Amino acid sequence: MTTANGTRPLDGVRVADFSWFGAGPIAGRTLADFGAEVIRIESEARVDGLRLGQPQKPGKSGYNVCAYFNNYNAGKASLLLNMGAEGARDVALRLIERSDVFLSNLTPRVIERWGLTYDELREVNPAIIAAYQPMQGTFGPHRDFLGFGAVLTPVTGISHLSGDPHRKPVGVGTNYPDYAINPGHTVIAILAALRHRRRTGQGQRIELAQLESVAATMGPALLDYTANNRNQTRKGNRSSWMTPHAIYRCRDVARGAPHPDGSTARERWIALAVRNDVEWNALCNLAADTLFAQDERFATLLGRREHEDALNHQIGEWASDREATELAETLQAAGIPAAVVQDAEDVCEHDQHLKQRRYYQYLNHPETDISLYDGPIVKLHNTPGSLIAPAPLFGEHTYAVATEILDYTPEEVAQLTAAGVLA
Amino acid sequence: MTTPTALDGVRILDLTSEMGWYAGKLLADLGADVIKVEPPGGDPGRGLPPFYADQPGRETSLRFWYFNANKRSVTVDLAQHDGRHLFAQLVDTAQIVLESHKPGELEALGVDVAALRERNPALIWTSITGFGLDGPNAGWEVADIVAQAVSGIAVLAGYPDGPPQRIAGNQAYIVAGVSAAQGALLALLHAEATGEGQLVETSIQEALSICQETAHLGWDFQRWSRERIGEQHRMPGIGTYQTLDGYIYSAVGIPGFGAPWTELIAWMADEGKAEDLTEPQYAETFAAFDMRTLGDPAQLAALAPTLERAQEVLTVFYAGKTSIEAYEQGQARRLLIGMVASPADIGDDEHLAAREWWVEIEQSRSLGSEPAALRLPGPPYRLSETPAAIRRGAPTIGEHNREVWVDEVGIPFEDLAVYAGEGAI
Repeated sequence: MTTANGTRPLDGVRVADFSWFGAGPIAGRTLADFGAEVIRIESEARVDGLRLGQPQKPGKSGYNVCAYFNNYNAGKASLLLNMGAEGARDVALRLIERSDVFLSNLTPRVIERWGLTYDELREVNPAIIAAYQPMQGTFGPHRDFLGFGAVLTPVTGISHLSGDPHRKPVGVGTNYPDYAINPGHTVIAILAALRHRRRTGQGQRIELAQLESVAATMGPALLDYTANNRNQTRKGNRSSWMTPHAIYRCRDVARGAPHPDGSTARERWIALAVRNDVEWNALCNLAADTLFAQDERFATLLGRREHEDALNHQIGEWASDREATELAETLQAAGIPAAVVQDAEDVCEHDQHLKQRRYYQYLNHPETDISLYDGPIVKLHNTPGSLIAPAPLFGEHTYAVATEILDYTPEEVAQLTAAGVLA
Repeated sequence: MTTPTALDGVRILDLTSEMGWYAGKLLADLGADVIKVEPPGGDPGRGLPPFYADQPGRETSLRFWYFNANKRSVTVDLAQHDGRHLFAQLVDTAQIVLESHKPGELEALGVDVAALRERNPALIWTSITGFGLDGPNAGWEVADIVAQAVSGIAVLAGYPDGPPQRIAGNQAYIVAGVSAAQGALLALLHAEATGEGQLVETSIQEALSICQETAHLGWDFQRWSRERIGEQHRMPGIGTYQTLDGYIYSAVGIPGFGAPWTELIAWMADEGKAEDLTEPQYAETFAAFDMRTLGDPAQLAALAPTLERAQEVLTVFYAGKTSIEAYEQGQARRLLIGMVASPADIGDDEHLAAREWWVEIEQSRSLGSEPAALRLPGPPYRLSETPAAIRRGAPTIGEHNREVWVDEVGIPFEDLAVYAGEGAI
């Protein structure tokens, strides 16, 4: 698919994507959305765990039916290449020689074992932009420490600073850093390097230590320590300067489908942030008959902060028998930032705003049929991102890549396949 | 010779509030000339905590300093005709504008965005809003917690018997900045190749969507909405454990990720704390795990007694160590363990120190005050030829008015004084 004027920002950029799981493939997905030709290297000897994860298409099995994998790999080609096999490295280097970008979130040890360090890559392609995403970097005392988003969340301070202050810090429920921060930072670095290369012809090495990439997002809390020697801790949904600032429970509704645990009621919650006195007064006007609207203790911000527990309790009572969607609309109409805490059913089925904006994309995949994908992470009006194809089947493009990009003859492909290299 | 930067020669006007600061920071650190365009009196976000030396003020916000280092500052009142006239001349010199006004808000002030873009056809106008530029909720108010709620990520965080939780650090604004910076750079590559600028649009709700992990995908395939699970462990070895002085997160036993559970048993055995876990049934049970087992409640239920016993022994084992011991000793065995680090733990982390990640700068404050010596978190990445770098502190309000308006835009100084007198700058 081409855009209005027939070009996309990354047309002609080829990416040799040696990454797997989340942070690497999502970076490759963004590059693919905006025109790059992204070739995922996969192998039967080292199957991306997300191909085996959940959720899988009901009634189907195998490597091609997990949406967790498919969502991050739309629009890419899949090349089977077993880097443990003799001769595989030559195939890898042949691809890298013909690529603009190399992408990997493998550990430094594996990169070294496979002979894919930057110094080795630039011998075959001096202009390559090689992006590495080691967990803690390629040097330093913890360079071989392992992890992924679930481990990064605690070591970067997110777990310590998120959630209920009276309970164990259990993280944020997902492998959060893997999905936007680390892939996004990686794409930014690659795009910057592409610009430099277009101007100078020079490639370079990018090291995104995932620890540093996530810690860089926690600047204010880290500076409060380095400048003020204050060690912040979590405060749940409260803010350092806004009150009320919380999530309140509203009236339950019926589920759109029964939950696996058998429950048919769906909890409804609403998030609310009051940024200033104007918004506080607007809230009091909406709730004029409540105690909190009339309570002098809550008339000032300092008063509201001093009595935040009591205030939250009273607002919670007020919200508890209300319908969340209506309440959010009422609050927004009064100029107060508020929204339903949406769950998957909401965002996929009920959110008319997302629907009208056509954020989610539905692609027809040979094994999972029409299925949901996240849209591009940003909207470019003249050169929009687009998902040109669903995720590749495991090894779907091995032959095409080997013959058309790597210029192997059909006989050579057969030999490499028989030798377990293209496998 | 100075080190080249990737975004050399790119001028960016940054009109964003707190929710868009990070985009400009990312691009400034990569070498762009980012000029904050602030209202007279300064960006309201200058008043946000925490404050240097706990002294609240317009020129002491650590939050502001962190996200606005490397930027310059001019002031201009866009509600005034003369202010808009000055701004238009500045826009003519820019490649990228970053802004985070609600749709129509700038136009309501009198700023004719369409005309500005027409005057400078290669211009990339980058908008960051909570909900995007169109659709029924486009005019909604947004705050970090609201964006996290509406995107579908808050419902996944927290305990099942408590409220959904927001992720710390204004992550909705961080992700907004990451999205907008990607969009602006993609558009820059296109503009430099074709001369065509464009509108770039970040909806924070949409930028956060992918952080739902599998929740939306689960609804699509299986019609159930994933919810927060708090402390419920899928299996022993995965979850938050108490230590002598805090907590660790352990992610041991996920196929493909580091050493297997048997290594955990070996570690406990080496310290004489494995109890009955050295019996073969435990090693056999864990050896049989793959990603599919982890996702199958029926298989997990059948193994419950074995798993519960393993959990019990492991919990006691971790509780006998400090967090840093469990983290470093476990990782030395290639076990996926992370300490639940506080800001102090990170600030004092020997690994980050050895990597010289922190950046020391002198941050200027108001006239007459000594600069503040700051140790700032470094950039998220290291580019070998065009490194990201923090070269200077955040600007004071209007610090570069003369430099930009007079020396660079070419406004005669006498005129600038008049504009200042009427409050247009």
